[in-house]
Amino acid sequence: MKFKKILAALLASSLAIGALTGCGGSKKEAGKDGDVIKVGVFLPLTGDNAAGGELELRGIKLANKLHPKVMGKKVELVVADNKSDKAEAASVAARLIEKDKVKVIVGSYGSSLSMAAGNIVKEAKVPAVGTSCTNPQVTANNDYYFRACFIDPFQGTVMANYAFKKGAKKVAIIQEVSNDYAVGLAKFFKDAFEKLAGPGSVIETANYQTGDKDFSAILTNIKAKNPDAIFAPGNFTESALLVKQARQLGIKAPFLGGDTWETQEFIDVGGKDVEGVAFSTAFDREKATTPEAKKFLEEYVKEYKGEPSALSALAYDAYLIAINGIEKANSLDTVKIRDAIAATKDMEGVTGKTTLDKNGDPIKGAVIKTVKDGKFKYLDFVAPGK
Amino acid sequence: MAKKQKLILTILLLIVLFALSWVVNIAMDSYVRRIINLCLIYAIIGLSMNVTNGFTGQFALGQAGFMALGAYVVGVFTVPVKLRASVFYAVPMNPLIANIQLPVWAALIGGGILAAFVAFLIGAPVLRLKGDYLAIATLGFSEIIRIVITNASSFTNGALGIKDIPTLNDTRYIFVATAITFIFISLLINSSYGRAFKAIREDEIAAEAMGIDLYKHKCLAFMISAFFAGIGGGLYAMLLGTVDPKNFLFTLTYNFLLIIVLGGMGSITGSMLGAIVVTAGLEYLRVFDEPLELFGVNIPLFRPGFRMVIFSILLMICVLFWRHGIMGTKEFTWDGAREFVKHPLRMFHRKGVA
Repeated sequence: MKFKKILAALLASSLAIGALTGCGGSKKEAGKDGDVIKVGVFLPLTGDNAAGGELELRGIKLANKLHPKVMGKKVELVVADNKSDKAEAASVAARLIEKDKVKVIVGSYGSSLSMAAGNIVKEAKVPAVGTSCTNPQVTANNDYYFRACFIDPFQGTVMANYAFKKGAKKVAIIQEVSNDYAVGLAKFFKDAFEKLAGPGSVIETANYQTGDKDFSAILTNIKAKNPDAIFAPGNFTESALLVKQARQLGIKAPFLGGDTWETQEFIDVGGKDVEGVAFSTAFDREKATTPEAKKFLEEYVKEYKGEPSALSALAYDAYLIAINGIEKANSLDTVKIRDAIAATKDMEGVTGKTTLDKNGDPIKGAVIKTVKDGKFKYLDFVAPGK
Repeated sequence: MAKKQKLILTILLLIVLFALSWVVNIAMDSYVRRIINLCLIYAIIGLSMNVTNGFTGQFALGQAGFMALGAYVVGVFTVPVKLRASVFYAVPMNPLIANIQLPVWAALIGGGILAAFVAFLIGAPVLRLKGDYLAIATLGFSEIIRIVITNASSFTNGALGIKDIPTLNDTRYIFVATAITFIFISLLINSSYGRAFKAIREDEIAAEAMGIDLYKHKCLAFMISAFFAGIGGGLYAMLLGTVDPKNFLFTLTYNFLLIIVLGGMGSITGSMLGAIVVTAGLEYLRVFDEPLELFGVNIPLFRPGFRMVIFSILLMICVLFWRHGIMGTKEFTWDGAREFVKHPLRMFHRKGVA
């Protein structure tokens, strides 16, 4: 009985704390409302995509530290976790807009999460700047969603051009069919490559599912067809295993991929076998020439003790796009901010100069990298529109 | 209380709640409405899951798959034809269905019927299994449904998902759908079918000896459950305006398992309560995710994800106190309510805890 009472007391007190903090928070905010501008940060901080969300949160926090003010007012970040879940993403986006009254939203990692928020920002007329949501559908038919990253079609096309330039005549595609990102890349790679090298130059398209471990059936089939290169966009773990197993089977053809490969785990899992692969990404520190990028690199190392990833850089840029929009609009009217963001032109960010096109997607170049001696190395730069 | 009196009270309550949903729709902002709508939709799916798991005693875990069917029928058939090219940008939509656009209500019911039909097909081999084996088999089937959806790109747009589904963040309609589900399942459970379901739950052999056709009743429960899960899935798709196969991972089923276990396996009002507690409760706890400064000191514990810890602790406490869920197999009754109003503390005394 005593145990029960203690538990009941605990339960009651935790709920009471919840209620108190809730009220306390809103009272405090009400007092300062006049001199802060709220920016919603909409990221998966728990759940499947938490790793990516955390890296992006670092970028946004750093950006906020270096650019804390706009229109002479302090920018306050309202961080909201969307739990890597679509229903939660929709609720939390509505919460940021209705309860926290944010003027602009930055995020999210993961296209499906951004798509779930799409309708909400559109209806509420509050602009959102995506960080690394690469699915073209995020900004299609939505005037209020923008993004800092290049989209799947561009990345697929870039790799197709690269493969053709390096002399590949026939290629095979192995895609992670349950991953929207991989499917998008593969589709546009195929279109672009067949345009360059003629129809039938993509000799095989094989599928695998997220979480697959054994690729020998697909690879044996592909080995028999002897392609010049293999395009294999997908999750880094599966991709690394795929490359490893291909080398064990004696496939010598170079592997090409997308920006998901740029993680330490890819090298850890793949080891020696992933040496020499090529993939596109948004950012490389050696190629980062803008003053903003230098500042970002310096501060990032100081703040977080480690190499910044492309995700952090993109999130940093997304924040800058949002802040620049507010500055240009010189108003807290969200529709005016939206128009100002849509007109973003040659904005200097970490990943180069950003200009948004009519869909709200940035026109910017891609970096092609490889793995050499267990490290990512810069290989090439592809300018936008090529 | 007389039976007639209770019926009148119930109808009055429904009318009051409907009026309330009207008020909510006008007076509340879209965030609150969204949470309430999500509660109602989860209540539909929780109720549907309770039909097999709670009342018939068959431990089936296929709800996410049936939801996916309902959601995809709505997704595929209600996107305006002129927007379809921009949605199906990778693989063009199959010409068979490219120009078919159904009204929302027809797509919703169609989704429910498709889910029930698939449940009928799955039911034949699967319902012969019991306990854990049934759970594993239904879980497997729900994954199969998801993987078929992922690979049938020309119908479902595969992993890319569908967006631009006409949205419905309107509490009135969703309330009506929930009320219909609630009334239908209440009537079902109190009919001879419902009594047969409960008999199967208590003892299959005894039930069969009493002349209950086990297979027929299990299959019926499974199909009804799938039908409402399909409707719930369709509403879910319309609330979000977008679907993709990753929504319907088997982990989604556990969400509803949590709702019915917390609410009470075999209690209709318990499922409603469970849905509200889980959905709105998690939203309410979001204050724990926000940074907190006490006396000028930033308490590091208050960071994104902390509410999940609190929620888990609360769940454990709930399970310790009410081992059969909040309602157990009991229902909300007018007699019980009157008793509660007269002696609010008595219910705590009566409840024997381990």
